[in-house]
Order: sequence, then C-alpha cells, then structure tokens
Amino acid sequence: MTYRLVRASIATATLIASAQAADAHIVASRLGDFYTGALHPLTDLQDLILWVAMGVLAGSLGASKGRWLVLAFPLGLLAGLVLGRTTGFVSAGPVADAGMILVLGLLLAAAPRIPTAPLGVIAFGLAVMRGAANAGDVGSDTNRLLFAAGLACVGYAAITLTMAVTLAFRRPDAGASMAWRGIAIRAFGGWIAAIGLMMVGFAFASHSL
Amino acid sequence: MSFRVFPRLVIALAALALAQPVFAHEQVGVTGGLASGLLHPLTGMDHLIAMVAVGIWGAQLGAPAIWVLPITFPLVMAIGGVLGVLRIPLPMPEVVIALSALVLGAAVAGRLRLPFAVAAIVVAVFAVFHGHAHGAELPNSANPLAYGVGFVVATGLLHLCGIMIGTLTRWPAGGRLIQGLGVVIAALGCYFLAQSLGAIA
Repeated sequence: MTYRLVRASIATATLIASAQAADAHIVASRLGDFYTGALHPLTDLQDLILWVAMGVLAGSLGASKGRWLVLAFPLGLLAGLVLGRTTGFVSAGPVADAGMILVLGLLLAAAPRIPTAPLGVIAFGLAVMRGAANAGDVGSDTNRLLFAAGLACVGYAAITLTMAVTLAFRRPDAGASMAWRGIAIRAFGGWIAAIGLMMVGFAFASHSL
Repeated sequence: MSFRVFPRLVIALAALALAQPVFAHEQVGVTGGLASGLLHPLTGMDHLIAMVAVGIWGAQLGAPAIWVLPITFPLVMAIGGVLGVLRIPLPMPEVVIALSALVLGAAVAGRLRLPFAVAAIVVAVFAVFHGHAHGAELPNSANPLAYGVGFVVATGLLHLCGIMIGTLTRWPAGGRLIQGLGVVIAALGCYFLAQSLGAIA
C-alpha cells in the first residue's frame, strides 16, 4: 500500500511540474460562447445566492412540488434572456435583486407550505429576472444561441442539483431524530434573509447618496 | 481504509494545484469583501465572545431558544446592520456591545433561566447593536454583497460554536466548565466596558 502511495505521489509531483496552461482552441470553434453562458451566472455572487436559495426552498418543500422547477427555471432564464435582448430590459435594479434575496430567505426561515403553482411562479419570475440580468453582458460578437444554451443548461443543472442535495439532506421521513436538519435549513434561510435585508438597506443608501 | 484515502487525497491536491481561475465574469472585490466580512466578527474580541455566549446561553435555555436563536438572530442583527448602512446612529454602541459580553457571560455563568420572551428581547437588543457595528463597515468594503455574506456566515458559525459548547451541559462536569467559561466572558466584558467608558486605556 505504501508503495502505491509513493507511486501516486511521484505521479502527482510529475504532473504538477509539467503542468502548462491549457490552450485548447474551444473558443475559436465558437463553442466558447456556450461556456461563457454557462459560467457567467456562476461567477456572479447575486446569481449564486438567488439560485441556491431557490433550489433549497424548492427542495425543502418536497420532490412533488419542486420537480416542476426543473423545467420552469431554465425556461424562465431563456425568457429573461430574450426579454433582455429584445426590449433592453436588463435588470430590475439592485433593490429588486436584494428584495428577492430577502423574500426567499424569509420563506426558507418561516417554512410555510407553499402550493406548487405559487412556487412555480416565484421560480419562473426569479429566472426571468436573472436571465435578463445575464443578457446585459452578451456582446455583439457573442453567439446568442450558444450563450442561451449554456445559460439554460447551467440553470437546469444548478436548480436540479441544489434541490436533490436539499431533499437528501432534509429526509422528512426520517423522524424526530432528524428534526435538526429542518432547523438547519430554516437557519440557512435566516442567513439568506439577513443578507437580503442588508442589501436592501445598502441599495436604498446608495440611491440616497 | 486510510490507505485508500491517501491516493485520492494526493489526486485532489493535484487537482487543486492545477486549477486555473475562471475569468468569464469575475466580480470586483468578491474575495476581499468576503474575507473582510468573515474576519470582522472574528477579529473583534468583544463581538466574538458575545456571539459565542449567545449560542451557549441558547443551549442552556434549551428548546425553543436553541433553535429559534440561529434562525432569527441573523435577521435581527441585519436590522441593526441596515441602521449602520444608513448611518443612523445608535446611543453608545461601544458601551452596549461591551455590556452585551458582560450580561451574556453573567447569564451563562449563573445559568440564568429567563422566560423565553424576555431572553429573546435581551438578545435582540444586543443583536441590533452588534449588527450596527458590522453594517457601518459594509459600504466601505470592496464588494458589499460579499462582505454581507461573510459577516452573516461568520456570525452564524460563532453561534453554532457556542451551541456546540453549550451541549456540554448534558454532563455535570461540562456544565461547570461552561459556567467557568461564562465567568471568563463576563470578566472580559467588564474589561471592554471599562475600556469603552474610558476608565482604562
């Protein structure tokens, strides 16, 4: 076993020593715009917080309610992207974004039984908002179809994975011994709501300056 | 089993070492904002001990305080944070923050069992002052959102730390140890209070 460890260490050291920056020409093949669309929201803290909060909220409500979001969320992102490109509606503004973080956090913390339809409307509305916000950074030389495909794919993957992880963590059928997991999710909601509340305050303070 | 883990660990380290940053849409100052937000509650000793004491006291009080606290405290603290962001002054913030360490430490030391509503009000008042101090720094940070995420997460983790320490009350020796810790927190609170009142340099 130790011999295997030594071999693995030598292989790792060789790998690190010989590492070069990757110069694959995927960007030149225009597929780069797909990755631009996919990576764009993942490098934006606002998108990350909102998407994760939405996924956790849907996951905490159970698979039967959350499964519609697998379709509704990426479609909403596409609708927002189209809206942003055609009408110039790029973002609802920092107050709306912060307000959305606050609302999602409060819903998570309060843990109400949200029916499927309102949950779908919230998710679709959020996706439209964020899709439009992402449209603001689509350049004139960007392949819009590939960018949209990348954005929709990452939206699908992010919301599905977050819901799945939350469902696996929540385990509502596990009984009273696992009740702390529900409390942990609600505490997470409290954190999200706190961040949203401060950002609402900051947005108003920035406006008044 | 551990031998199986080692090669995987080595590979994971290699993957980390070879990782390149993504420059698709790097927001300005995220790392700096996050770091300053995370460090703000940790580098101020008066904040740190008060937050840990809140968690310990919540654990001593038991249900519902132990689970209401982590859910609502960040939110109440954020109200103070908003006041700080909007530059709305609070009376004697340094004195009240020092007092919070003294009072919460004394509550832990004396295993004070107040009615839940009264305990919640006491903690909420202190939370607003602590949030105000953090919120005042928010507009100056490189990335306000990242700063907000950092300080909320750091505060939540300090509570969690306090709650975990508080679970030692299940054992008689653990209970006494925690009461001793409460005395230390209260003594530090006394020191900070004297400092904020100008009695010592």
